[in-house]
Amino acid sequence: MSRRDTLIDLAVRAAFMVIIYLVFAFQLPNYHTPNGIAALLDGAVLVGIVSVGVGVTMIAGEFDLSVGSLAAVTGVIAMEIINIGVLPALLVGVLFAAAVGAIQGLVIGALGINSLVFTIGTLIGFRGLAMVIAHENTVTMPIEQLPDVDVLTQRFLGVFSPISIGMIVVFGVVGLFLRYTRWGREIYAIGGGRSEARAAGVPVLRPMMIAFTCSGALAGLGGALLSIRLGSATPLGFDSLLLSAATTCLMGGIALEGGIGNVIGIAIGLFTLRFLVTGMGALGAPYYVQNLAIGALLILVVLIQLMATRRRRRQARAQLSVRIA
Amino acid sequence: MPSRDIVLRMSGISKRYGSLSALLDVDFALARGEVMALLGENGAGKSTLVKILAGLERADAGAVEIEGQPIRLRSPSHSLQAGVAYVTQELSIVGPLSVAENICLGGRDQQVVWTRARLADEVKPFLTLVGLESIDPSVPAGSLSVAQQQLVEIARLLSRNAQILILDEPTAALSDVEIEKVKAVVRKLASEGRSIIYVTHRLGEVFEIADRVTIFRNGRSFEPVEVKSLDIDELIQHLLGRRLEQMFPGRSETLGPIVLSLREVMAPGLSRPVSLELREGEILGLAGQLGSGANGVVRAIAGVVPSDSGSIELRGRPFRPGSIRDAIKEGIAYCSDDRKRDGIFGVRNLFENFTSTALWRISIGGLLSRPREIKIATELADFFEVDAARLGRHAAKLSGGNQQKVALGKWLGIEPSILLVEEPTRGVDVGARAEIYRHLRKLANQGLAIVFVSSDNQEVLGLADTVATFFRGRLVRVASADSLEAEELLRDVTHPGAEDVRFIQ
Amino acid sequence: MKSLRIVADLVQTGPPEELDPQIASNRRRQATAALVVALIVLLIVAGLTTPSFLTFENLLVVIRNASVTGIVALGMSYVTISGNLFALSAEELSILSACIFGWLMRANFGLSLSLVVTLLLSGGGGAVQGGIIALGADPIITTLAFGGFFRGLASVVSQNQNILLGSDAAEWLGTGRPLGVPTQSWAFIILTLVAWFVLQRTRFGRLLLLSGANRVAGTASGLRIGQAALLGLTLLGFCCGITGIFAAAQFGQAVANLFQGLNFDVIAAILVGGIALRGGQGSPIQAALGAVFISVLQNFMLLHDFTSGWRTTVVGILVVVATCGFHLLQRRRA
Repeated sequence: MSRRDTLIDLAVRAAFMVIIYLVFAFQLPNYHTPNGIAALLDGAVLVGIVSVGVGVTMIAGEFDLSVGSLAAVTGVIAMEIINIGVLPALLVGVLFAAAVGAIQGLVIGALGINSLVFTIGTLIGFRGLAMVIAHENTVTMPIEQLPDVDVLTQRFLGVFSPISIGMIVVFGVVGLFLRYTRWGREIYAIGGGRSEARAAGVPVLRPMMIAFTCSGALAGLGGALLSIRLGSATPLGFDSLLLSAATTCLMGGIALEGGIGNVIGIAIGLFTLRFLVTGMGALGAPYYVQNLAIGALLILVVLIQLMATRRRRRQARAQLSVRIA
Repeated sequence: MPSRDIVLRMSGISKRYGSLSALLDVDFALARGEVMALLGENGAGKSTLVKILAGLERADAGAVEIEGQPIRLRSPSHSLQAGVAYVTQELSIVGPLSVAENICLGGRDQQVVWTRARLADEVKPFLTLVGLESIDPSVPAGSLSVAQQQLVEIARLLSRNAQILILDEPTAALSDVEIEKVKAVVRKLASEGRSIIYVTHRLGEVFEIADRVTIFRNGRSFEPVEVKSLDIDELIQHLLGRRLEQMFPGRSETLGPIVLSLREVMAPGLSRPVSLELREGEILGLAGQLGSGANGVVRAIAGVVPSDSGSIELRGRPFRPGSIRDAIKEGIAYCSDDRKRDGIFGVRNLFENFTSTALWRISIGGLLSRPREIKIATELADFFEVDAARLGRHAAKLSGGNQQKVALGKWLGIEPSILLVEEPTRGVDVGARAEIYRHLRKLANQGLAIVFVSSDNQEVLGLADTVATFFRGRLVRVASADSLEAEELLRDVTHPGAEDVRFIQ
Repeated sequence: MKSLRIVADLVQTGPPEELDPQIASNRRRQATAALVVALIVLLIVAGLTTPSFLTFENLLVVIRNASVTGIVALGMSYVTISGNLFALSAEELSILSACIFGWLMRANFGLSLSLVVTLLLSGGGGAVQGGIIALGADPIITTLAFGGFFRGLASVVSQNQNILLGSDAAEWLGTGRPLGVPTQSWAFIILTLVAWFVLQRTRFGRLLLLSGANRVAGTASGLRIGQAALLGLTLLGFCCGITGIFAAAQFGQAVANLFQGLNFDVIAAILVGGIALRGGQGSPIQAALGAVFISVLQNFMLLHDFTSGWRTTVVGILVVVATCGFHLLQRRRA
């Protein structure tokens, strides 16, 4: 899409986000206060960080189904070794998850296997691994160490906490990487036209590995961060993370086919989702209704995109390079 | 013969696709600073050789030496590293990326940071060289026309700073002005000491820019010839003159009433409206190269694309197919030029393939009837001379010729009155080609009306009763095949005489 | 990066090679035969090493579990064979069906009416997904979305509590054993035969196979490809409904985490059974065999005190190995 089209597209999505916000803001005065905004930001951190990773793999034309399980296993690992300190445990967790992601990217790229198919297996395997490492239990932080976590809940400027700043940094770094580096553009290339990119001389393995390392590391970061903040990690957790991340990315304009999308869109999708979820929660809907709402939202997004694709395809038929289906 | 400074040497190159030999023990050498043209029919092997050099395909046998060093070209990035850059017929443009990114990606730019401004500056000189200086390098490449995309690819080629450049039919979609720019660039590069391989159908271009010519035929190459010493008529004979009689069955016996008529029809790919008529029992050949617009005509009749204006009449009644199913209902069968993509069901056997278009014929109230299936498949296999023992095999396992027979034959199940085919013998070996021509003629004699699109001029002259030539989206002429000379056909589809008298100087 | 290139060259040095389906098919038949052999071996090993394996109660458990996984796997096999990869919503739809059935029974709608309504709704749940996929939506994303939706819906229907059926009317359905074989297994066997017959011998089955083999060619040949997705997913919906009903009937209640891990087991069953993920090939019998194998394996692990974590990890490894293995087997090396 041209720059102008991209901006228009983002503006439309942002408008939708604002509408959702207003729908709930009128009923929830708390939304406007610094505390409310801080809660909003903090609540968005997990899905936000993981969505960036999922988005990168989607831009590369792939899909990482294992993010929820990877978040769970990393959270469990971080909790198990938490006695070495909060930040070191976090670091170890992220490195572990990044390594796992790199290996997934290597296997998928080198074998040429469908990433959906491959990550279904790792989705299952990591979940099992999480249960094994946690001994089927919830792993909790020793009480002595709980104060260490307070560093994560400080407030800056009244609304930001270290973890929400961390999320913003992630968005910033990945966004700049995707937009302004050669390696980032290679990821768009292999997503926007795999065989064309290959024919043009773009190496396929490097951007593939970068994309999956990114999604792995960020899934691990999200899982470890949240577990540390809560002081506990359960191996069965993060089971709706994939759904939320996928919804965020699709609402943010990341195309499933690949090659299209940016982190600003992901941010817009993120907050659209969060406004909806927190709004419903504040209105008294029980937590288990969240899945219902997110699922319904994703279905709506799918339908809208479907109609747009069908219209685009009908228009594209009026061109030389048209195909049958 | 003065000794040359050989920059590229390929020896003993062989490549098969299934049972089809694309290249048979081919030797090829390229000297420094020369422009070598490759000529030959479709399927003669020139594109395959070039693809091997570009790292897109791997040879089954043979060796490649660049600057005296043996090298294995395993992927496009490998070839680039070895100093080989290429532009091929199939566009390798990544649509969502900008023009500048398309040019720079995959190249040697090692800088980490890429900004719009820096990329734009870097590609400007190359865009200017190919005449695209007015294009904003930041627009998505997918928004450009096919011709512009082709020029962007050439700009990318230039930016690679390669020693060996391959241009495979780079001017197919270009206007004359654009072609002049390309020719000028090629001459300039040669004078800088780079070596260029130029694959084309356009004899005019050969004479204008090439130093030597290598002719390919049936997977073999001939000794290169100096262009200076070439005789144009001899060349055409060499390329086109063959045993027409042995390859092709005769013309139609009788022609029935008009079954299809197009009046001022516009379709995607056409720049001027087209009017044509088709009779029962007639084989109409639409001749044209890439970008001629001929397949737009056929696809509009088939319901694959909408026809924008004009009228189509089927047996005297207006006909406007909104979809493929509409056309099939009226007895119109359509085979595209890519059977692997949409002509055959590779992982199913031939019984299932042959009956796929007419499941109602083999089912009784929802249940499949195996005896009927066997009967129909056996009859079709018999008609198309496919060995009955092969019926149980998966379609993808067959030779190209047999696959094409299946792609065509499955349509007989709907008892069509019109058969539309694009490139009826692409990727088919000589023996099977003759068989397919025979079958098509037999079908025509039984009353079927056939329209085929082909970029193989010989095939058009040999198979069709009537020929319609296309060039750049317009119909040039309609004539009976018997009255059309080979050179006239060639001229029509590459450089129609009326406007453009620059065929040979 | 140079070392990366070396690694890449070792493993895959060109564009992905063409599939050779004849070889693939032969290998698949061999793989199925190998699976049967492996299953027999597993049964023998289990019988010899695990004293409690060959007991009546245990075998009953194995057979019932195989039926639960198997019935859903049959439906899933239609989705996979038609070229739509997987439906990630099977587990959730089964839970929802169990909850709906439980709710209806508790509300005294009677057995027949409850059965009919549940099956209609579960089939409908599949149909909606199938319809959207038939229009061109991505199967994974669509079923992922519906999975979340169904899970949420199930929580709403059950108010996040167990639903007690409140009557014994369904007890026979859940625990009966005509001729000594549990009702679920009868259903499994009958459905396997029906599924096989429909795929091999009916026009719809042929449409399904062709749709999975080459969707574009199917459209070009005038086939109604959309029907394959629609009906395939509707059938999966029915299978989920049947499974949900059986479970609710068996336990007398519908529990929220009734089918924990069902998605995993079903996917594993399909892959271990050897059904190609790209579609267009395979048979429900393979899915059924795969389900039996997975069930026996799970039981074997359970009896050997594998924790739930280890059992899940083993299934995950099995899936990864099976997918990579089949992928490599199918690639023809130049």
